[in-house]
Amino acid sequence: MVNMLDRRVPAEAQPKSLDRREFTDRKALVESVLALSPGVSESDRVISDLRGGRLQATERLAVLDPAKYGSTRNHLDGAVTRLSPYIRHGIINVTDVRDQALEIASVKTAEKFIQQLTWREYWQRLYREFPDYIWNDVEPYKTGFEASDYADELPKDILNGSTGVACIDQFIAELKQTGYLHNHARLYLAGYICHWRRVKWQAGARWFLSHLLDGDPASNNLSWQWVASTFSHKPYYFNLENVARFSGENIDTSAQANAALAETYELLYEKLFPNLESKQ
Amino acid sequence: MTLVWVHEDAISLDHPAVHAAGPSATPIFIWDTAEHDRRCYTLKRRVFIYECAHDLNIPIYSGESYEILAALSGGHDIYAAATADPYISGVLAELSRDHAVETLDSPSLAEVPANTDTGRFFRFWNRARKSALTHSEDRLIS
Repeated sequence: MVNMLDRRVPAEAQPKSLDRREFTDRKALVESVLALSPGVSESDRVISDLRGGRLQATERLAVLDPAKYGSTRNHLDGAVTRLSPYIRHGIINVTDVRDQALEIASVKTAEKFIQQLTWREYWQRLYREFPDYIWNDVEPYKTGFEASDYADELPKDILNGSTGVACIDQFIAELKQTGYLHNHARLYLAGYICHWRRVKWQAGARWFLSHLLDGDPASNNLSWQWVASTFSHKPYYFNLENVARFSGENIDTSAQANAALAETYELLYEKLFPNLESKQ
Repeated sequence: MTLVWVHEDAISLDHPAVHAAGPSATPIFIWDTAEHDRRCYTLKRRVFIYECAHDLNIPIYSGESYEILAALSGGHDIYAAATADPYISGVLAELSRDHAVETLDSPSLAEVPANTDTGRFFRFWNRARKSALTHSEDRLIS
């Protein structure tokens, strides 16, 4: 690390805080942020409808429904809380979220929700104990390929959301527009990038971190490694039938628009992981 | 002056670091554009973070984090939420060479023994489950 002691600011040049502004509307706030962020490219200037602030966090917490969460959480239109951006930035404590769940639901009913909260704690603990895990393969790929077989960068069609796989393009558009994706959509997108397109998980993780409002290196990168199989026993992959089962009406899961995914698990396994022993 | 660095991993005034610093300490947020650029944050991420910081009604400084903190603290104590983030913890480590730097952990969801196997989540969950499923108030009582 650069020794920053040599660059200390003399006392006469005390920094001044930015003028406290009460913004008349969100547009004015965005303009102010943009003025502070001249390096943001034109294509990255989309604003999410999800707003920052404690009030927004507590409003979401107030409508938490652990029972409904437990029964619908895997569905893209399920009762997920979207509290993760607020938890990630410490706007609200994870313990307050847990306590709220236990106040409105039994331990048994709230368990699935709290278990998901604990994933974050788990990732954070790994981050502290093994910081090298964040950008390096924890274990070798278990896909029949070496890390060197994977591309270093994301192809343009993924960056642009024009892969030609309809549901994948919809997930990409949502990521770029809202800065939020349901966890199941994250898994689909990560699985597609790692296994269909054979791109290194690091490239996808970096891309997610630039967009996701809840982007946290530990949760994000280690989840990517779980999908890639560098931090799990086997690669995560899926087929169109699975996407259709968990998607709402808004996701195009027609076979003709998603040909790359429209196979049985057995056939996909052979296509995606030809060096592994056949499952049949 | 004694500072609390409210950084992007804990944008809150209800944090043990703020409480430990005491009422005379000054919490500040630093808008570190260079670091945001290094992280390739899109505008929507920056806006979200700014909205959270602005909401606290504390001074926001624009510049490199180390330089702002070193200049403002004048050698006084600096408090911050503990984090594994290498940039933030690196700045705090640099400051600790000639400042008293106190970092405090965020409240923890679960009490898990230090020697717990973290190789896979469910091994961790088995050790964390009981305390994770206990309300904070009940934990204090027991």
